[in-house]
Amino acid sequence: MKRCNLITFLTLLLVMSGCTAMNYSLVAPGVVAVDDLTVQAGTSWNRAPAAATPSARKNSATWTQDGLLLDRIAIIPGVPDGEPLLITRDKSAALPVFRADMLPNELEELLESTIVKLFGEGQAVVSTANLRPYRFGDQTGVMFDIDATVTDSPKYSGIVGAFIANDKLYLMYFLGAVPHYYEKNVAEAEAIIKSALLSEAPAA
Amino acid sequence: MKELFASLLALAVLAAMPPTVAGAQEVIEHLIPPGYEPEDAQDEQGLWMEFEEMEKQLNRSALLVRDAELNNYIQGIVCRVAGDYCNDFRAYLVRNPGFNASMTATGMMQVWTGLIIRSSSSSEIASVVGHEIAHYTRLHSLEGFRRLKSKMATASFIDLGLAALTGVGGFAQMTAILSYLAFNREQETEADLLGVRLLADAAYDPHASYQVWYKILAEEEAAVAKREEPGVFAQTHPNSEDRAAYLKSYVDSRYGPPDVEPAADQAFLDILNRHYLLLMEDQLDTNRFGRTRAILERHASIGVNPGLVNYFYGEMYRQRAGEGDQDLAMAAYTSAIDSGSAPPEAYKNLGYLHLKKKETAEAQQRFRQYLEANPEASDRAMIEFYLEDEQ
Repeated sequence: MKRCNLITFLTLLLVMSGCTAMNYSLVAPGVVAVDDLTVQAGTSWNRAPAAATPSARKNSATWTQDGLLLDRIAIIPGVPDGEPLLITRDKSAALPVFRADMLPNELEELLESTIVKLFGEGQAVVSTANLRPYRFGDQTGVMFDIDATVTDSPKYSGIVGAFIANDKLYLMYFLGAVPHYYEKNVAEAEAIIKSALLSEAPAA
Repeated sequence: MKELFASLLALAVLAAMPPTVAGAQEVIEHLIPPGYEPEDAQDEQGLWMEFEEMEKQLNRSALLVRDAELNNYIQGIVCRVAGDYCNDFRAYLVRNPGFNASMTATGMMQVWTGLIIRSSSSSEIASVVGHEIAHYTRLHSLEGFRRLKSKMATASFIDLGLAALTGVGGFAQMTAILSYLAFNREQETEADLLGVRLLADAAYDPHASYQVWYKILAEEEAAVAKREEPGVFAQTHPNSEDRAAYLKSYVDSRYGPPDVEPAADQAFLDILNRHYLLLMEDQLDTNRFGRTRAILERHASIGVNPGLVNYFYGEMYRQRAGEGDQDLAMAAYTSAIDSGSAPPEAYKNLGYLHLKKKETAEAQQRFRQYLEANPEASDRAMIEFYLEDEQ
């Protein structure tokens, strides 16, 4: 156990001190495709490399303005029935899974529990509010607000959009450190989330 | 014959105990007086400075429970168990669904909300508190620090040094680093035994010291995927089964077996009933349904408000979503509502389950009841969408 902690700690130090290559790529303003989902970016964003988001699903994208610890938009397309929103090799993680028959209250709970797991069980308290309907093109979906209180981090607030199409979940969330990074980016993030549309020819 | 049986029983009790316990029939005493502060030893003063810095950070943590009633309840237990040492301790209640409490050399005590929901009485909480106080008065942190210091070439100390150099020293990281000062098995056993004495001296039930562990064992058994769900208690502590067994032997031989089946005291039940939503919602977010169910079964058996317990049964079954769970959830929500003390969300989530069954009229009825019970509901737009959509 101690050895495990030590390895994790040293790895963290290496990552934080920049010894691991982390190449962010530019996301230019305009229509951006993330798998079979498109969103409209109003300004430039930085797409995080896979190494910086090891728990992100392979076909998802994570963008940031000022660094992942301060703000992030995660765009998670096409989660199939029975799968979680994150990936992990840890069999004890007990990640909540998406089910195709989920109703709005359950989508809210799914993300709430997922964000707890993202920050670490016991390290975060996550709450949601203002669940409301929203139409993403032809798809009826939902939007809601989210707050995350995390040990050793600033408090985060954010906004979430989600819909189910062809029995798959499409979910976008923004988290920004309160108050500055949330206030700075929430309007642009909300516009991006609200612009989400399913591509006319979904990926196979 | 009676004497022979008593001798055999005594031998059996000793055999069940770890060596320290078997040899510890003498009383384990406090090593420091109330109001203790380090005076001469530089290393001890340095350790205190580290812990004082930790405490400043803990004081700023947004995960601290600020509710006065909950904090007074915990501080009251700490003071009653601590006796003359009461003023040496600051108890902090932290939102964390795990089962744990911790103590530093300076008297900073952390109690996780998961300890409260996994206890069945104030005595059980007091047993964990007594154990932590014993660590403090036996100077176990200092002992561990000096043991570690003597191995300064080890990687653990490199960690401490790197943290100091890089400034990477947030509260969680400091806690992780300082976990290398974890108490050893001998110290844990010592704290167990002194803790039992503190518990009894404070007129709490000493049998709670092992009863709480049998409940943790029952929860482990109930975990859906035992091998895949990590234990709820730190692995530096003695194995829960061994610990429960040797504490039972020790307590029963010293104080006699418990007279009656232990009952929850009213003060404990009042705390659970008044703060149940706050205390249980983080457990629900762990997505560990076997453990949540075990906790709910215990709460039902000790007399926590059935409306609240049934509401969380409904939440647990609905989120687990296994075969037959939808009907179990609906029955639990209905029981909660019928009891008259369910939170408004019971109406809403029962309404959503009716929607799944295409029972529109029933769903709408429950949604309307939800909005009546909670006119300021932040999800009113969503509920009204279904009220309009399904007409």
